[in-house]
Amino acid sequence: MPNYKLTRRDFLKASGASLFLAGIPLQGFTQDKPPGKISVIILEGGMDGLSAVPAFGDPNFEKMRGILVPENYLKLNSFFGLHPSLKNLSSLMASNNASIVHATSFPYKKRSHFEGQNLIQGGGLTPFSEKTGWLGRSLELAKIPGRALSLEMPLILRGYGENDNFFPAKIDQSSKININLVEKLTAAHGKLGSDVFEKVKQKSLLTLENMPRDPQSLAEYAGKAMAKKDGPTASVIRLSGFDSHASQDDGNGNDHGIDLAKIDGVIASYKRGLGGAWDNSIILTITEFGRTVAVNGTRGTDHGYGSAGIIAGGAISKSRVISDWPGLAKNDQFEQRDLMATIDYRSVCAACIEKSLGLDHDLIANKVFFEPKLPRVFDYLFS
Amino acid sequence: MNENFRIAQKLGLMFRPEEALPTDIKRWAIKQLQSPSPSLGIGNVGSDVKPWPKIFQPSLDEKAVKLRIHWETIKRERKKEGGYTEAAQRANDKDNLMYKKDILRFSHRNVYGSDQLRLRLMSFWANHFTIGSFDSREVIGHAMEEAILANFNDSFSTMLYKVTTHPGMLSYLDNHISAGPNSNQVRWAKANGEQAGLNDNLGRELLELHTVSPSANYTETDIRNAAKVLAGWGIDIKGNPLSSLKEQGGTTNLWDMYKRNWAEPGNKIILGKTIGTGKGGLKQLTDFLAAHEHTVMHLSTKLAEHFVSDVPNKTDVNYIASAWRQSNGNLDQIHTAVIERAIASKEPKFQLPMTWLFQVLRLSNATYFMGWNEINTSNNSLKFNMQPMQIFDELGQNLWAERQPNGYSSKKEEWMSGEMFERRIRFADSIWTSDSQIQSTSVIMDRIGASNETRKLVESLHGMSSRSKKNQFIALMCSPELMGLENA
Repeated sequence: MPNYKLTRRDFLKASGASLFLAGIPLQGFTQDKPPGKISVIILEGGMDGLSAVPAFGDPNFEKMRGILVPENYLKLNSFFGLHPSLKNLSSLMASNNASIVHATSFPYKKRSHFEGQNLIQGGGLTPFSEKTGWLGRSLELAKIPGRALSLEMPLILRGYGENDNFFPAKIDQSSKININLVEKLTAAHGKLGSDVFEKVKQKSLLTLENMPRDPQSLAEYAGKAMAKKDGPTASVIRLSGFDSHASQDDGNGNDHGIDLAKIDGVIASYKRGLGGAWDNSIILTITEFGRTVAVNGTRGTDHGYGSAGIIAGGAISKSRVISDWPGLAKNDQFEQRDLMATIDYRSVCAACIEKSLGLDHDLIANKVFFEPKLPRVFDYLFS
Repeated sequence: MNENFRIAQKLGLMFRPEEALPTDIKRWAIKQLQSPSPSLGIGNVGSDVKPWPKIFQPSLDEKAVKLRIHWETIKRERKKEGGYTEAAQRANDKDNLMYKKDILRFSHRNVYGSDQLRLRLMSFWANHFTIGSFDSREVIGHAMEEAILANFNDSFSTMLYKVTTHPGMLSYLDNHISAGPNSNQVRWAKANGEQAGLNDNLGRELLELHTVSPSANYTETDIRNAAKVLAGWGIDIKGNPLSSLKEQGGTTNLWDMYKRNWAEPGNKIILGKTIGTGKGGLKQLTDFLAAHEHTVMHLSTKLAEHFVSDVPNKTDVNYIASAWRQSNGNLDQIHTAVIERAIASKEPKFQLPMTWLFQVLRLSNATYFMGWNEINTSNNSLKFNMQPMQIFDELGQNLWAERQPNGYSSKKEEWMSGEMFERRIRFADSIWTSDSQIQSTSVIMDRIGASNETRKLVESLHGMSSRSKKNQFIALMCSPELMGLENA
């Protein structure tokens, strides 16, 4: 019988990583300075929270996780550890510059990537209910319209009209855009088209060096840009590779630890790039869902529900693992298969917006997440 | 635009200058479904349009052999002192990888082919059945032509089965490593302390994206059972010698690779339907899903959104769905219904960047893609140095890019961004600047019967300089009329 070496394959690996910078001031536009900077790392594919932040204190943990229990894990407290790939995060935890929220999720339980990704970016009550994103709406409420650095306009950054995007193109044989031409096109198009052509005319103040492509350089680039005087207020980095259906631990070191190390590297690079601006910055991860508690047949885990969130930055003054731990016994799992979520992750996002953009919690609850009763968890994270 | 071009824009790629215009556009459009065109293209910039050489259209077997040589070369080079050098890598890729030629051939077909309507439908279905991974890009072109285009005169269920069993799809969604929990493979692996078992990736997307959609309210058990039916299908054609592939697959056909020892024994129930054990189970499953009412509605809606209107009305969707039901999913009948509704609806349809590019090139008779002899050379005319892969990446729509299996949206709101619009201006500029023999703006406007609004826009940029002529060309191509948007 032939034995096939399982190779690592993630279908959600769109192009390794992409970066979006938002809230880049436009010429002639004055604004009040927000209290801080906010960066979101989207972990595409659904991060396995129990791999990143193993719950060693749970009596069922080792029994349920089998081969996926990491060796040499880094200890956080008597109950939780960190995957050995998250070394930098571990030292940020030790210096009170990072926190973990565990057994958490956006309110989405149906395990589809595309519904889930839409919901965690749109921030609405159901998938595909919103045409704008929670960060875009927040920036507009904070009166920080501006541009995102990207070819497409990611949903999370879309606002009701003023936000837009740009990205350095490499098109041979094309020259500088003629403004008269763009004005004529703007006039000829109906509202939908002319609104967009109108934006083509506005040039960003930010001059761009060559854009790097690997996630760590992107994060450092973003951090540097945000630290500048007229730099962006927000950035979004998309990391792929978390749909760990297969070879999550292939036994050869060529495993999911590589993807977790990317998060670790991205946070470290942000810090390096931000320099002094680190002190008023917040970086948080979001993911569309967590994964099954038990291992599947191809050394991986399938789509689930609850996961873990990582929050880092100088705006944090006391490191904590924030969790209302549901337990891992079969009957404690969501539908007897997934980690249960006991904390609404929108509350965590709301606290980060409140801290970085200076918006009132009730305003965020009502206008950003359309959930007037959204619990305020600000004090758990930032007091 | 006159009716010929209005329909060619919505459903096709526009008529080239040398193409005769039909007298009955509806009859022409329906007849297109039965009129395949060979893969046309150019060997060199400036040479005549003719069919692509046979050697550049390899079979799956020939591709697998080349991939094997590619892999053996990497291993051999790595052992050498100095390792696998960049020069050796370039030479190896040039000799043994085909995807760059596949993308060029796809581009040429779209620019020079006389089967414009079939090509639009091919792109629609290739996007519906997205295969978008680095590992599968060598066979993406094959899947488009042989699993999708070649089955247009057959049924949706045939196309669904051929796509689901295609080596590209099976590797893209992890199925080639999935084994039934009660299979011999899993028993053997457990006895040896190895991990083996089910992976539900393809099973989930088969239900969610390819057929019934979440509206069918399937359960996790349905998904798992679909994965069990799929277990055993597929082999990684990259790393194995052809003979061993065929032995393991129990067949001489690389498109029919089913590993009995990996299959899950017993019947499986999906959405209430019992699927039998063994290799035939998958055809049973895809036939069942293809005819499912939720599939009919999901895909009728999706077709209408792409070809008729962003927000199709019930009549449009029901018309297509009823053609589907009455013909038992015959693709000719389904596509005919789409054509009829697209013609009946007077609403403009926003054209996605890739389609728009092909339409601009066909209308203006511009040469923009290099010839097949020039793809791996660097000393060709500087003007045609952009690789097709780069062109589509810069456009923001690339059927060979690594991406998620839900594909590109047909809805204009997903494409309304300053950067996306700026790129249309720059591509129109680049096309105009690259080819001095390009069709003049006024000739194009007369032929398509440009609207008064479009003529006014172009006229407003009138001037004697060559720059004015260029701006007039850009304005025409980025006008509401040619982008498929409303006028002011």
